[in-house]
Amino acid sequence: MEARSVKVLLRRVFERAEAVFDVGFGRRDNPITNLGALGWFFYWICAASGVYLYIFFDTGIVDAYASVEYMTNEQWYAAGIMRSLHRYTSDALVVVAVIHLLREYSLDRFRGKLFFAWLTGVPLLAFIYICGISGYWLVWDKLAQYIAVSTSEWLDALPVFSEPIANNFFNSTTLGGRFFTLMVFIHIFVPLFMLLLMWVHVQRHAAARVNPTRNLMIGTGLATLLLSIVYPATSQGPADLDVVPVTVGLDWYYLALYPLLEVIPGGWLWVIVAGGALLLMLLPWMPPQAPRPAAIVSLENCNGCGRCVDDCPYSAIRLAPRSDGKSFETEAVVNDGLCVSCGICAGACPTATPFRRAKPIEPGIQLPNHDISELRDEVLQLGQQLTGNQRLMVFACRQTAAVPATDTETAVVSLPCVGMLPPPFIDFVLSRGIADGVMIAGCAEGDCYYRFGGDWTRERLARRRDPYLRRRVPSDRLAESWLPAGSEARAQAAVAEFRRSLPTVDGSEDD
Amino acid sequence: MKLIEWQEEFSLGIASVDHEHRELIELINSLHDTMRESSSTAAVLETLGEIYAQIASHFALEEKHMREHRYPAFNEHKQDHEALLDDLRDIMDEIEADGWFDEARLSQDMRRWFNEHFSTHDARLHSMLPHPTAEES
Amino acid sequence: MIRGLRLAVAVAAYAVFAVAIGYLSASPVYHYGSADMAVLKLSLDHAAERVEPCVRLTPAEVAALPPDIRQPAHCERQRIPLRLQLDVDGMTVIDIVAQPSGLWDDGPASVYERFEIEPGTHSITVRLRDGKDTTQWDYVRSDDVVLAAGRYFTITFDGTEFRFR
Repeated sequence: MEARSVKVLLRRVFERAEAVFDVGFGRRDNPITNLGALGWFFYWICAASGVYLYIFFDTGIVDAYASVEYMTNEQWYAAGIMRSLHRYTSDALVVVAVIHLLREYSLDRFRGKLFFAWLTGVPLLAFIYICGISGYWLVWDKLAQYIAVSTSEWLDALPVFSEPIANNFFNSTTLGGRFFTLMVFIHIFVPLFMLLLMWVHVQRHAAARVNPTRNLMIGTGLATLLLSIVYPATSQGPADLDVVPVTVGLDWYYLALYPLLEVIPGGWLWVIVAGGALLLMLLPWMPPQAPRPAAIVSLENCNGCGRCVDDCPYSAIRLAPRSDGKSFETEAVVNDGLCVSCGICAGACPTATPFRRAKPIEPGIQLPNHDISELRDEVLQLGQQLTGNQRLMVFACRQTAAVPATDTETAVVSLPCVGMLPPPFIDFVLSRGIADGVMIAGCAEGDCYYRFGGDWTRERLARRRDPYLRRRVPSDRLAESWLPAGSEARAQAAVAEFRRSLPTVDGSEDD
Repeated sequence: MKLIEWQEEFSLGIASVDHEHRELIELINSLHDTMRESSSTAAVLETLGEIYAQIASHFALEEKHMREHRYPAFNEHKQDHEALLDDLRDIMDEIEADGWFDEARLSQDMRRWFNEHFSTHDARLHSMLPHPTAEES
Repeated sequence: MIRGLRLAVAVAAYAVFAVAIGYLSASPVYHYGSADMAVLKLSLDHAAERVEPCVRLTPAEVAALPPDIRQPAHCERQRIPLRLQLDVDGMTVIDIVAQPSGLWDDGPASVYERFEIEPGTHSITVRLRDGKDTTQWDYVRSDDVVLAAGRYFTITFDGTEFRFR
């Protein structure tokens, strides 16, 4: 199957799932738009429960199993629950991480300059697996024995060890406590290093969301806690290297590939895993995309007010000391490597206003391929084609449900992100009578493709965030529609509804 | 004759803000000149458009400084900024709708508007901001 | 009604989540081996003879060497491959040539094998050759052993002899 059709299929699946979850959870608490944050949440619970378990865990191979049995049985009400929480949240972490990966893939939100989070996510996945596998090892039950033998045999397929490490688990006389202690070490320090990598993973996202919404935290917290009480995690009988662990209850979230080791040589599994990881890491550049031009600052029109810096979701703009000799202290400087060309900065710039007549309009900052002058021309041109007294101008982003330009009554201006629209444009369209109503159509709440475009726009229109929409803009001639992709029917309905509610010449609503 | 003359008490002590005040005064003065020399509505609207953009960005810069210094009367001052921008838009729309402008009245409005804002809000700001060491302007 | 539907969806979602995690965290069971078969494991790690024997240097040759590497003998590092054979009830089931490890083929060679075998009495013979004489096996052990179902039977080599366990 071609990559494109896989992406489209995935996107449809996610749209459906999102719609269903919207019913039960509401927009903001939709787990599909909180996947990354949920990953962080499960990590914290797993880490915290791990700390508790470590207090009672005996790190020597002789008594490890017994200490875990004690926790699960004698201290079932505390350590036992902690153990179950530890296991189940670690599984939940794998689940949300994989779904998160698939979702970002389906949205194409990893290509071009957005590669960084994706690229750092691949080693993060590897670390999650190292944590999980080493964790199961520490119980030193039959499952751990199976994992120990299989993992060491698999590692031996690599030409790095002069003596097979599987010898450590050859029979009960060869077992050394030292290797076990190494596993304890790994299981403590890899999660710590993973935390560092998680921090790196979100580095290029300003104000990264690392906490899910409160309701989600309560919900998933309770769900895993309930699961831990009702279905406690147990061990599978003590490890005995002389006895074959004939049946083992695998944790399929972490060990799904292990049965393959009995069917194909270990070296092949390395090729599959390493090859798969390499392929994933190269994906942002396959096929290579023409880079989108970064935002450009016009020093002539920039006084260093900093609104673009505050609004950029990717920390791609900073204020630097003035370089043109003007008496302003600072100027905006764009980091080309970080700018994803969303245009939200242009929407924030106070000089990006269509009321300037001097051509071309040059705001302090804008996207070179979607400049404000062009936007003004487009608005004027489209407006001329509108007729009647219920003319609507819709400013829509490319990612939301499509509002097709219908007849001569609706004009649609397409933007990379609604955040790119400077609020004065709304004042411009309505006060000049270019249209009778303006609608802003963007991604569903909590799911703006460029992270903050929707939030910033809503706040600008509500006059809570600069640049404030002018008070004079009549609220009955302005509508907002925040819909996920795929909900074309709802988008159409929103436009129709808005049109119906427009005040007519005599001030009454049209029925 | 200039509509507005720069006065020392206009100075806030922040070089960038003072610079912008000077530029705005120049723009308003040039508007005044444009009105007297030609009766072109288009030219007047063009200048007003530039004034609007400059004032908006000037206010943005001033607000940034106020935030940085945690100016206590910030909300009030910002409200005045927004009101001034609204007024300016009203003036622009009136000229656009009428197709002509009342030169005297517009000049009056601009000067009064500018002076009022200065003598009240900006003056207070000037007195409440810590005065930095002398900056080159 | 609508409120009930919302609640139902949310509860169902959490329930599916909890059940999916709970179930797959330990089931379905995986059958790693057969309860009615024994497993034979062989692991061996041994350095074979060198390709060229060490050459004793004359005192003059030793003196001619730089002071930091003066050794009485000069040894070429490369080793020959190891030859291993395992017979079960007279049939050769493992016949391996194991290459020495290391970048210059100078390290020990290792063999690791694991396979299922019928329980009961078997005659096991293991032969190892680490020298250049291809007419003889340098280490041999032959025994009749009783293998129990569900247990490992391991063969190791400690450098001088084979161990059956």
